[in-house]
Amino acid sequence: MSDPRASLLFALADDELILGHRLSEWTGWVPYIEEDLALSSIAQDEIAHARMLLDILSVIDGRDPDALALGRAPGEYRNAILCEQPNTDFAFTLARHWLYDHADDVRLRALQESSFKELREAVAVMLLEERYHLEHADAWFRRLADGPVDARHRFGEALANAIGMAEALFEPLDDESVLVSEGILPTGTEEWHDEWLARIGGMLDEVGFDQVLTSQGEPETGEMVPTSTGEIESTEQIARRVPSSGAGGRRGEHSEHFEPLWLEMTTLYRAHPGARW
Amino acid sequence: MVTAAHVREALAAVKDPEIPTCSITDLGIVHDVRVTAERIEIDLLPTFAGCPALDVIKRDVEQAACDLAPEVEVRFVNAPPWTSDRLNDDANDSLKAFGISPPLLQIGRAHNVTCPYCGSDQTVEESAFGPTPCRTVRYCNSCRNPFEGFKTKR
Repeated sequence: MSDPRASLLFALADDELILGHRLSEWTGWVPYIEEDLALSSIAQDEIAHARMLLDILSVIDGRDPDALALGRAPGEYRNAILCEQPNTDFAFTLARHWLYDHADDVRLRALQESSFKELREAVAVMLLEERYHLEHADAWFRRLADGPVDARHRFGEALANAIGMAEALFEPLDDESVLVSEGILPTGTEEWHDEWLARIGGMLDEVGFDQVLTSQGEPETGEMVPTSTGEIESTEQIARRVPSSGAGGRRGEHSEHFEPLWLEMTTLYRAHPGARW
Repeated sequence: MVTAAHVREALAAVKDPEIPTCSITDLGIVHDVRVTAERIEIDLLPTFAGCPALDVIKRDVEQAACDLAPEVEVRFVNAPPWTSDRLNDDANDSLKAFGISPPLLQIGRAHNVTCPYCGSDQTVEESAFGPTPCRTVRYCNSCRNPFEGFKTKR
């Protein structure tokens, strides 16, 4: 039987690796230079965090960190499918960024108390760096939610599109009961989910985006109609969402967007196994 | 007999590849040095996990220590986490000499980020993200120059 710690490390590392890879696609394309540096730096941090986690996993698994990052078949990746979604536009990228980084913060804070020493040490380092990601995500959340109307409209739509997939960041892990009983997980994914929901729910309420959560899964029809105050009444996007649509990543089941990403990310590794620079 | 103090002295000559005025010992990157008759072990702390200079720093440290013992092992460790509070006063001076303002100092000490060009404290952060993971981009409202700041990490 595989070490239960591996399922946790694969989930954490693959989220960071795949999201980092996606964010790196923005390099050179962001609307202005400061933001280009920001998204590129965040991508760099996320991939570095994946490396820290894969270094730890390498000792358990036996494969070297590069082989773990780039030498696995697509079905062996355990990232949530939110992370592999195309960047789409700036609104979706920032909506995912905000939802993901709050989720990441919740689980990293919980893991500060893990009985797994190497992971606890890595988490302490990651939290010091993720703080800047969270500040960046929150700043954009407030800025876009404040309008103008088109920005608020598109951001609200993007949040509605991403929320179901973001919930799947908290899909149960393989052997989660063992991880909890051994104190490797001080709290389980369900508790993380509740904490995250309370946190983002409060912020969504404050800016009048509460329908992003409340209408989840309820079939509604209608267009996105901003009122004079910039509030959004309803959206077709929300209506189309199915709560479970984002699940499967933790079992190695991915959306159609994963394989093209994987092909690109692993091109060099597959063409020149063991290449170094 | 080589002591840990000798090794640290040798490492003081190793500069950060991206901030060539700044010694890695002043930046607080050197955490632990263990010396035996035939072996030196050096534990380093990465400033930021995504720092692309880590491999170069490791190589430079190995070279600096290799004359002092037949066997040298250099590794990066995650504990304790590196924070910008590890910078000493010499690091702050050499950062300024390179045009980078030092990080915010520990709570209870002076708190303003001053412009490395004119010394004014009328500066604002433009972006928390700069050309390297450890730097921010700031702007001086007095001399109207953009400048880089060392990122506060704690």
